[in-house]
Amino acid sequence: MRAGPKPLLAADRVRAYLTLVPYLLERGQVSLDEAAREFGVSAAEMRAMVEKLTVIGLPGDNGYWQQPHELFDISWDLLDDEGIIEITNDVGLRRVPRFTAREAAALLTGLQMVAALPAVSDSGLVAGLLAKLSRAAADAPADVVIAPDAVDEVRDVVAAALRQGVAVAFRYQAPDAEPTTRTVDPVQVLITNGQWYLQGWCHLREAMRTFHLDRVSEPVLTDISITHADAPVPDAFGSAGDDIEVVVSLPSRLVPLLGDYARPENTEQHGADVTVGIRLADQRGIKRIAGRFGGQLEVRAPRMARAAAREWAAEGLALYRQP
Amino acid sequence: MAARIPPEERQTNLVVALMATEIGLTKQQILDSVSGYRQRAETGARVDALEKMFERDKDELRALGVPIETIGDPSDPQDLREARYRIPKAEYALPDDISFTPAELAVLQLAGSVWSTESASADAQAGVRKIRALGIDGDEPIIGFAPRITTRTSTFTPLQSAIEECRVVSFDYLKPGEQTARKRTLEPLALLDFEARWHVYGIDLDADDERTFLLSRIVGDVVVTRKTFSPELREGAGDRALAGLIDVAERNRALLEITPGTEAALRLGRRARAETQGFSVPFVDLHIFADEIASYGPEVRVVEPAPLREAVIARLAAIVASHPLSDEGE
Repeated sequence: MRAGPKPLLAADRVRAYLTLVPYLLERGQVSLDEAAREFGVSAAEMRAMVEKLTVIGLPGDNGYWQQPHELFDISWDLLDDEGIIEITNDVGLRRVPRFTAREAAALLTGLQMVAALPAVSDSGLVAGLLAKLSRAAADAPADVVIAPDAVDEVRDVVAAALRQGVAVAFRYQAPDAEPTTRTVDPVQVLITNGQWYLQGWCHLREAMRTFHLDRVSEPVLTDISITHADAPVPDAFGSAGDDIEVVVSLPSRLVPLLGDYARPENTEQHGADVTVGIRLADQRGIKRIAGRFGGQLEVRAPRMARAAAREWAAEGLALYRQP
Repeated sequence: MAARIPPEERQTNLVVALMATEIGLTKQQILDSVSGYRQRAETGARVDALEKMFERDKDELRALGVPIETIGDPSDPQDLREARYRIPKAEYALPDDISFTPAELAVLQLAGSVWSTESASADAQAGVRKIRALGIDGDEPIIGFAPRITTRTSTFTPLQSAIEECRVVSFDYLKPGEQTARKRTLEPLALLDFEARWHVYGIDLDADDERTFLLSRIVGDVVVTRKTFSPELREGAGDRALAGLIDVAERNRALLEITPGTEAALRLGRRARAETQGFSVPFVDLHIFADEIASYGPEVRVVEPAPLREAVIARLAAIVASHPLSDEGE
C-alpha cells in the first residue's frame, strides 16, 4: 500500500491557511479531494483544516467572545452532503501572500535548470519569470545559480523526436564496448548531475533502456511513430540482479566523493578507513572509479577488479615514459 | 477548562488581527483579545509566559514571510513597552501588478518539479500553489523532460540560511590536493552549480578576498555564527561567482591527446576545442581535473601544463603502488 501524504506541522498549517483562504475565495466551490490534492494533504486533514477555519477570525472585544460575523464560516450543508468547500463569511486573508525567500529561490533555481530545455527556451518566458519571481518575494532569496549548459545537436534531435512523437536513431558507444546502432522510441529525457540521459524503448533490445547522451552520436530523426510510449520508465540506474559486488576501502573523509555508490547499507567503518561494497554490471568498471581517487581508494576484491584497476593506471602511466 | 487552542489557530488569528489594524495593536491588546492568547490569559497563564509565546509566534510568522512591523515610541525606539504591531497589506500580499499566464505557470510547474530534496520541493510546490490561488490554471504540463537537482542538504541548507540572513559561517575544508582540512571563515554570498558540482562563493575573512569552495569538500558541520555582514555584498553575487569560475576555467586551459572513440573522447568532447596537436580543454581546479583525467587511464595524455601532467602521473603511480601484484588483496 502506498503511504498517504504526511500530516502537516503547525508552521506548515499556518502557511497552508494563508494560501487556502484566497484559493477558496477565488475559486468559489472546491471539492475536498481537489483541495486536498492541491495542498498535498489527505482529504481527512483538509476537512479538519476547513472545519477549524470556522473558529479563526478577528479578535473579540476585550473580555467577550467573538461574534459570528467576526469569524470565518463555511457552508456546512455543502461540506456534509457533497464534500464541497465554500467560504460563506470571510474576515481577512483575502490576498495571496508574497513568496517566501525559500519559495522564490526554489523556483528561481528550478527555472535556470529548465531554461535550456528546448520546450522551455522556445517559449521565451524565462527572463520575464525570473524578474517577476524576484519582485514577488517577501525577502531577498539567496542567489542559487545553475551554470548554463549548451544544447548540442544530439540534445536538439532527441527533443525534436520527443515533441514529434517519432523514434530517433543513433550510434551508441557504451564504455569499453563496440559501438552499436540503436533506434529508440523516446519516453523522457532525464537530466541529473549535469548529464542528460534518454530513456525509451530500444528496438534492438526490445526493452526500455537508458542512454547517456554524451555516448550518442550521429542522431537521426526517423519517421517511425512511437509505439511504446506507455511502457514504464526504467529505474534509471537500477542494477540488474546479476551485478557483481566490488569491495573497496578508502579514508572515511573521502567517502562523500563516492556519491551515490556509498550508502549506509553497503558501508562499514574500520578505524579511519571505510569499506564500501559497490555493485557493478562489469567489475572491471571499477578502474575508472579507482582512477578518480589517485591511490587513496584501494580495490580489495575480487581479484579481477583489483587487477583491472592496477593495469588501467599502469597503461596510463606508460604514456609518460621516456622512450 | 477550555480546550487547548493549537498554535496554528492562534498564529493564524494573529495574522488576521494584525492585518485588520491600521494603527497597530499593543502587546497587551493582543494578549487580551486575540483568540489563543485570550483564553490562556483568562485561565491564569503567567504574563511572561504569554509574552514569550507571542515573541516565538512573531518569529515563526516572519520565517513564513509574514512582514510583522513594530512601531515603537518615536522618542525612544528602543523602548518596546508601548510598541504597536501590525502587518502592512502592501508588503504582505503579492503586488497587484504581478500576474502569470497559463503558459508561464506550466513552465514554473516544471521548474518546481526539479528538486529531489524534500524541503526544497515543498517550497517550490508552495510557491506554485500561491499562483494557483490567484485563480490561474496552467497550460498542459510540459512532458518528456525530467530535470533533477540534487543537493547534500547537510551543507547546502545551512549555507542557504546563512546567505538569507547575512550571517558569517565557518567550516573545515579539505582543499583538493591537500591531506588535512583547514578551518575557513566566510561571508557566504551565493551557491553555484558549476560542472555538476555545488560551490559556495563568498568573502573569505582570513584571506580578506573572494573565494569559491566545493560543498563536497566541506568536512563536518557548517557553523552559522551570530556575526552578520552587509546585505549589499549579496547584490549580483551569483553573477560574479559564475563569471569568476568561467574566467578561471578559461585561463586554465590544458592541452590533451585523447584517443578517439573512447569514453574520455565522449566525456571531454563537450568541453574540448580542437588544436593542431590534440584538444584544448578548460578546467577550474587542477587537482579535480587531474582526478578526472586519471580515471580515463590510457585514453588521455596530458601534453601541458606541466603541473597538471605531474599531478596525473603522481596519481597513476600511486594507484599502481597501492595495488601491488604480489599482494592480491583479500
